[in-house]
Amino acid sequence: MIEEGHTPADAQVQTEPEAKAESKTEPMLVADNLTKRYEDGTLALNAVSFEVHPGCIYVMLGGNGAGKTTAINIFLNFIEPTEGETRVDGIVTHKEPLKAKAKLAYVSENVMLYPNFTAIQNLDFFAKLGGKKDYSRDDYRDVLLRVGLEEVAHSRRLRGYSKGMRQKCGIAIAILKDAPAILLDEPTSGLDPKSGREFTGLLDDLRSEGKAILMSTHDIFRAKDIADIVGIMDQGNLVMQKSRRELEGENLEQLYISYMAGYMEDAT
Amino acid sequence: MFKLILEKELREIIGTTKFAITFGVCAILILLAFYVGARNYQVSRADYEASVQENLRQMEGLTDWNQIDHRIFLKPQPLASLVSGVSNDIGRTIEVEMRGELRDQGSRFNEDPIFAVFRFLDLEFVFTIVLSLFAILFGYDAINGEKERGTLRLSFANSIPRDQYILGKLVGSFLALVVPLLVPILIGCLLLPILGVPMGSGEWMRLGMIILAGILYFGVFLTLSVFVSAMTERSSSSFLMLLVVWIFAVLIVPRVSVLIAARTVDVPSIDRVDFEKSRYSRQLFSERMSAFRSWAQDNPIGDDHRAFGEKMNEFNKGQDDIYDEKMNLLTEQLNEQRENKSGVQQRLALSIARISPAASFSLAAADLASTSLGLRATYLEAAKAYQVQYSRFMKSKNAGDNRVVISHRMGADEEEPEPIAPAELPVFDYNAPATSETISAALPDLGLLVLFNIIFFFGAFVAFLRYDVR
Repeated sequence: MIEEGHTPADAQVQTEPEAKAESKTEPMLVADNLTKRYEDGTLALNAVSFEVHPGCIYVMLGGNGAGKTTAINIFLNFIEPTEGETRVDGIVTHKEPLKAKAKLAYVSENVMLYPNFTAIQNLDFFAKLGGKKDYSRDDYRDVLLRVGLEEVAHSRRLRGYSKGMRQKCGIAIAILKDAPAILLDEPTSGLDPKSGREFTGLLDDLRSEGKAILMSTHDIFRAKDIADIVGIMDQGNLVMQKSRRELEGENLEQLYISYMAGYMEDAT
Repeated sequence: MFKLILEKELREIIGTTKFAITFGVCAILILLAFYVGARNYQVSRADYEASVQENLRQMEGLTDWNQIDHRIFLKPQPLASLVSGVSNDIGRTIEVEMRGELRDQGSRFNEDPIFAVFRFLDLEFVFTIVLSLFAILFGYDAINGEKERGTLRLSFANSIPRDQYILGKLVGSFLALVVPLLVPILIGCLLLPILGVPMGSGEWMRLGMIILAGILYFGVFLTLSVFVSAMTERSSSSFLMLLVVWIFAVLIVPRVSVLIAARTVDVPSIDRVDFEKSRYSRQLFSERMSAFRSWAQDNPIGDDHRAFGEKMNEFNKGQDDIYDEKMNLLTEQLNEQRENKSGVQQRLALSIARISPAASFSLAAADLASTSLGLRATYLEAAKAYQVQYSRFMKSKNAGDNRVVISHRMGADEEEPEPIAPAELPVFDYNAPATSETISAALPDLGLLVLFNIIFFFGAFVAFLRYDVR
């Protein structure tokens, strides 16, 4: 974390309006000059701005404590920003949280869900919580198969599920909500390589359906694989933002390390 | 939304192995409490009837009412089988004489000290100890457990108003735990008449109120658990905290309240009061002997023994009256002083104890079962009223006066007297206070339980509105 007022001058974000320019739609997710300072003085986010359009996947890359989860928490109104705001489809999240959250689906890292419920029961509860009351058992079965959960596991209690299986359930819940925007906080952390690849395919489908997806991760390869825009975050700052086209021919891993290193040198 | 959360709570709690095991244990204990209570009642009732019969039997063949040794007995109360209160601590037998102070003796614990050590398994015990722990076991992680599982984050990523969520959670967990518990309680209630416990409309009403008090008490610990869970980040912290609160509320506060009251208000012991009485009695006896000596000097025995006997009886009666008057006055004074101080001490102890919902529940249940601290006083009061009746009866039989004895002894040539008819004795029948009275007595404690529920419910509600769901 860095203290406010010590932002390095040359740590300017390379914003790329290309994706925005290409899209004729209004942005679904907007972080506008987003700043969060905790009561103990820690600056978790420092004037961060970005936009995610429908049919676009925005990946926030960064290490632990970079501010990725804080940004997602502000979108979900779990915490309020100190300055700036987040908007979902034009709705300011901390002013009208219930309206904003109706347009958001969310997958967290380490999804635990209700261990004494079966996968179907968990899906049923969270789908209804998200306002979807007309789903049938077949709908739940289909979505679970879609996220790669074998049918034999659908009626088993989650107590016996592996981390990856629970994560798939979490993704199924997000899909069932059928919200125009999806927030994914380290969604692949519990998945094996095969499931990770399936997950990437799933995100592709969701993008095709026109969902605006904001994903945080520190998995550079997955980011390069799936992102329309990559934002590198470090110590509460958005230190780089590049579109897929800009990243073509570039080594994202090297870029990530160089930005981080450069930024850290500037910060010191 | 409220209905959805409520249904989820019901399903989440009832579907667990933890619930199946704890509910099974509680159900067995509840049914056992009813069964053991009913059996105890039957035993007590049989003992009571046998004692009454034995009391009359030992008078058979006697020819003089002066020779009888009459006892009255406390009839077992049907609801004492479920809430024993002080019914096992107070004496159930009183030896009745025409005059003088009445003392209860022969308590259940006195006869079977083992029960004093381990106490009975009654419904009050099951509620006070077992069900309060049951409530904590299912409420300690109501909020922070959801946070630990990540379900709170996931739930609040949706458009859920927090007030509806916490309301659904509180009501849902309450219903999920209370409704299943009502099943063994209702089965237990049905067992009572089958097992021979006489249940009138008053008893049913009071039993219903005891169960209501139990549910309120259960609610206190459940809402308190949710409240603590909404104040802490980790379920292990809230469990530890609740365990400490439980130990204080159930085990420490009631006992400490009695200690504090005993330290604050000094009540003379029964032995001290008895010592005062016997000292005064000796003083009166000495005065009486002096008076007799003077009287004997003035009234020589002479030849007419019958006339002398009558004169002596007259003198003795006068002396008896003086003794009774003086002794009664002192006894009343000493008893009143002791009762007043004891009353102050009790009120202080109960006021302090009522900080704990466990004490409020115990007091309300004992009031409703007519086994509260007032049982001994009402029993003695009924015995005193009976003593007046008994005294009147004995006087009608020319008993209780020394002169009769003397006359009879002196008239040795008289015919063989007829045996007395013990069935003529007035019958003592202890009637517990009316239902309305017991309910009125329990109302303050029931009110306190409602208040505890309201405080913890709103505590949980407000704490959750400010809870960090991340």
